[in-house]
Amino acid sequence: MIKLTNISKSFGKHEVLHRINLTVEKGGVVVILGPSGSGKTTLLRCINYLEKPNEGQIEIGDFSLDYKHANKKDIHNLRQRSAMVFQHYNLFKHKTVLENVMEGLIIVQKFSADAAKSKSIEMLEKVGLGAKLAAYPSQLSGGQQQRVGIARALALNPEVILFDEPTSALDPELVGEVLDVIRKIAKEGITMIVVTHEMGFARDVSNHVVFMDEGVIVEEGRPQDIFGAPKEERTKQFLKRITSEWAYSI
Amino acid sequence: MKIDPLFILTALLSLIKALPTTLIITVVSVSIGLILGSTVALIRIYRIPVLHRIAAAYVMFIRGTPMLMHLLLIYFGLPMLIDGISGTWGLPFHSNQIPLIGFVLISFSLTAGAYMSEVVRAGILAVNRGQIEAAYSVGMTTAQALRRIVLPQALSVCLPNLSNSLIGMLHASTLAFTVSVVDINAQAQIVAATNWKFLESYIAAALLFWGMTVLIERATSRLEKRINNYNRGGVA
Amino acid sequence: MGRQFDFNYVLDFLPKLLSYLHITLFIVASSIVLGIIMGFIVALPRLYNVPVLKRVSQVYVSFFRGTPILIQLFLIYYGLPELLKLVHVDASRTNVLVFVIVAYALHSGAFISEAIRAAVNAVDRGQIEAAYSVGMSGYQALTRIVLPQALAISIPILANLVIANLKDTSLAFTLGAMEMTGKSQTLGSATRHFLETYIALSLIYFVISTVLERMFFYMEARLLRHERQVVEKERSPRKLIGWRKREIARLEKGVDPH
Repeated sequence: MIKLTNISKSFGKHEVLHRINLTVEKGGVVVILGPSGSGKTTLLRCINYLEKPNEGQIEIGDFSLDYKHANKKDIHNLRQRSAMVFQHYNLFKHKTVLENVMEGLIIVQKFSADAAKSKSIEMLEKVGLGAKLAAYPSQLSGGQQQRVGIARALALNPEVILFDEPTSALDPELVGEVLDVIRKIAKEGITMIVVTHEMGFARDVSNHVVFMDEGVIVEEGRPQDIFGAPKEERTKQFLKRITSEWAYSI
Repeated sequence: MKIDPLFILTALLSLIKALPTTLIITVVSVSIGLILGSTVALIRIYRIPVLHRIAAAYVMFIRGTPMLMHLLLIYFGLPMLIDGISGTWGLPFHSNQIPLIGFVLISFSLTAGAYMSEVVRAGILAVNRGQIEAAYSVGMTTAQALRRIVLPQALSVCLPNLSNSLIGMLHASTLAFTVSVVDINAQAQIVAATNWKFLESYIAAALLFWGMTVLIERATSRLEKRINNYNRGGVA
Repeated sequence: MGRQFDFNYVLDFLPKLLSYLHITLFIVASSIVLGIIMGFIVALPRLYNVPVLKRVSQVYVSFFRGTPILIQLFLIYYGLPELLKLVHVDASRTNVLVFVIVAYALHSGAFISEAIRAAVNAVDRGQIEAAYSVGMSGYQALTRIVLPQALAISIPILANLVIANLKDTSLAFTLGAMEMTGKSQTLGSATRHFLETYIALSLIYFVISTVLERMFFYMEARLLRHERQVVEKERSPRKLIGWRKREIARLEKGVDPH
């Protein structure tokens, strides 16, 4: 279980997160929706300590941390329990596909080279890239790169995988292959928090939807409730705007 | 025009004797300079309190003054400092125990350190921020992220500049003659003066340096190709 | 080696050295001007891909970039009179400054030609195509479109070259030229206060190179203000680096609360 309590974060005077509370059940798939600038990506990055909230606590499994008093060891500990899939993939450019996945296993989790290799190959096969082990990131399409990013996160066996708009940098025809992979691993019971604009995906895959706006959680609940009968005016407006864009495809 | 082509060859053979001195000066100052430069670059990037101001002043001073000054300041200043300290504390160490080449190595390393810190700094800043975030996200510490992810990529970015620094230090090693260290240049002066064939001696010295420079350039471009093979796909 | 350190000597030496500043600056200015001319002459055959001449300029650039300036000084000093003898010119009474300036001009010329080449190549190809599309000739495209943009791009490189040239002039004393460093040698030998001389001399070099750096910085800013379309082209990488610098600092602060 992951529990965020009272997370607040400001950049200078601008408050991007205001006392956020969020609980994610083990094995849950949570989708965070919201207009750009609503703070959803910042919230995600706080979980991986890529941003330092000004205030708040986090619990992941048996580990808990108060952001105000975190030391280096705590930060390191927190990062080891979460893994991130980035919008722009952020694969290690100077390493091959296989090495990208092995890197964290060997350096951080102290796997033997053999064990790291077989686990990495297994993960890469899961995302359908078993044939690209020796390629460098620059030789892959965006969709392939993002699938490597997913394999890299998956291999670390984290308590939660954080997806930061994993498909928004992709060409439209490549979105599907990445969503398919995420769908597949969601079914395996891995806890996931996904920031996305893909409404169809959010509705199909998630079991909890959070709608954020201006740094606060406006509304959250089961996907059928949020999409079917939103209570808050802001949520309605947002969904109306978003869904009208692809209404014809329903 | 009086020129004795055969003597160029004779001079060349005689200059080879001084080649090891030139190479030692170059390799030692570049190696220490790289370590010093990387340290200074990291201190400045991470804005370590107090130290980053000292580092900035050091780089600014070295870059703002001729290398000859660094050598002469060390050559005349360091003995005063050492003997002063030894005298006050009654230590048995005396500056005349330092070999002449020691002054050259110390001063050139300081020079190389400042110039290379700029090269390394530019290289590190050129590495995309996402790379270090990805390293953090797989659970690496800052030290691991720097060593495994940022520095290898920075190296490939700054390789051409590092090679220029190496060539610069190779050429600059000719200054060593001012403190009576016999490098290729000093040896050329000796050969020239004893045989009264100045032009030929310096042609020989020039050929030697030219050859070494071309060699370094070739090696660099080859290394560049190898290191950059992950950029082949062209997708950024 | 020297006498007891006395800071008063530093103050005493400063004006004495400064009285030779104009010679140092004269060497820098004349060799840079000649170097720019040389640089253009050498860059053109390579830019326009002229056979044979292209090879010659390649060898020239490779040689003057591939050998130490100190060796070049001696080569010019001993070689130039021999060459001039071939055309029956007696150079034995020529002022040593002439050799010094020729050597620095040839040295800078090699680096400047590379800077010109890089800058011209850095101008977007679309600019030349656009110039042709409005009916300009090749010469017009070069002088009206490419060079003004290239100039702005090459200012930082030129600044480095000028400052490097200034610092290199400290080697002219090896031929017996009486500029600041030459003077410092005589001051040092006469008073046996070497360290003080070199501290004073370093201070002067430091101030001049800092002033030069600032000057070029303002020049670049000015040039870029006039050339609007260059502003974006030229500024954006810098902005990016500045941004990265801040981002790294921020990221680091964010993740390492010490």
